[in-house]
Amino acid sequence: MTLKFPAFHPISPKMKIIILSLFMMTQIQAQDCVNCTPPVFDPAPEWPIEYITVKKVDYPRNEKASFCQRPPEIVDTIVLHHTETPSTKNALYINDLHLNRGTAADPWYMVAYSYLVNAPYPKESVPQSLVSEGRPIDIVGAHAGSNSFVTMDEEQSKAYTDGKITCGKEGSVFKVDPSIVRGNTIKANVTTIGLVVIGNYAPVSRQNPGGYSPRNPRYPTKDTQDMIARLSCQLQKKYPRMKNIRWHSNYNSTDCPGSIKNYVGQIVARAEELGCKFN
Amino acid sequence: MQIQLIVLSLLLCFSVIASDESEMKLLFSRYDRVMSSVSDQVEDVFSKKFLEENGGKEGFQEKIKGLAKPNFKSMPAAKDLSFKKGVKSDLYFAKYTEKRTEKSLKGSHASSQFIIVREDGKLKIDGTISDGE
Repeated sequence: MTLKFPAFHPISPKMKIIILSLFMMTQIQAQDCVNCTPPVFDPAPEWPIEYITVKKVDYPRNEKASFCQRPPEIVDTIVLHHTETPSTKNALYINDLHLNRGTAADPWYMVAYSYLVNAPYPKESVPQSLVSEGRPIDIVGAHAGSNSFVTMDEEQSKAYTDGKITCGKEGSVFKVDPSIVRGNTIKANVTTIGLVVIGNYAPVSRQNPGGYSPRNPRYPTKDTQDMIARLSCQLQKKYPRMKNIRWHSNYNSTDCPGSIKNYVGQIVARAEELGCKFN
Repeated sequence: MQIQLIVLSLLLCFSVIASDESEMKLLFSRYDRVMSSVSDQVEDVFSKKFLEENGGKEGFQEKIKGLAKPNFKSMPAAKDLSFKKGVKSDLYFAKYTEKRTEKSLKGSHASSQFIIVREDGKLKIDGTISDGE
């Protein structure tokens, strides 16, 4: 039996040119497509970025320090602070200071605040406006004063009695710490988050040599107020129980957060324009 | 022999702490004089970085001109100085507050901490940080 192969027809020169041109066209289109391809984004952010972008920072932490965890849903209050440092310092610098501030017997885990806002003073252009995430929101902060206690509501009380607020060290078993509760009150740090504006918004004094001159007062600009309002709104969108904005001196006898406390009304009003309601 | 060594190291430790303490006291006595515009030795009290961030020597002196002058006679008794060394680097955190009397309790009481660094072999104030915890 013999096999018969079809006759091979050589390609004519005209055909060769057509095929070559078609090949070149597809190459050009493929090259164009590289530019047209939509950029690949990181996985979807934790919540929709509707109000403000929050930068994640990889902070060094002190694994020897103990800290407490909580369900973020029990947080009902945002507490405003200023760092009292120059406004040009960044979140990592504040973290470094806080790591240093502890003692060998009582070390600090990481930056005490949950959010850090960089913003220029009035009539200044640096630093660039930026919101950085600090201590994750499910870790209790260290900002309102460890001796400040607030009344618990039903859900906060239930979270405590259900053993959902626990303390320990990295890699250890987390346990309920009875010292965080006194009767019907709980440490203010447990039910609040610290939002700090990096800068010194208090007047110069013997306690605050880096404060502003009375001739050149510092206050949060409209843009800074807007950033705080947007961040607060964003938090309320994710955690609807977060309905209060307070400031450090509501909890402790301190000058913190300087003139920022005089603008809480404007911040709340701006948040309302954005569709959020704060007390 | 071992006991002698322990005693010697303890003595060394105490003398280091004592020297830190006396140096810190000296720094804050200078601080009081600068902040009262009695002395212009600003560079002996503040770090170069702090002065840069606060308008330079002249700018800083101008800023503190209006501060009320304390009663120097009553100062050692009226002030309370405490400090601790930072955990990681060569840094100190100091609290220097007026002792609270019944009268002062009614007003606000700032409780920020001074950041102290060693510069050119001397302790100097590098700024303050709001007290949290």
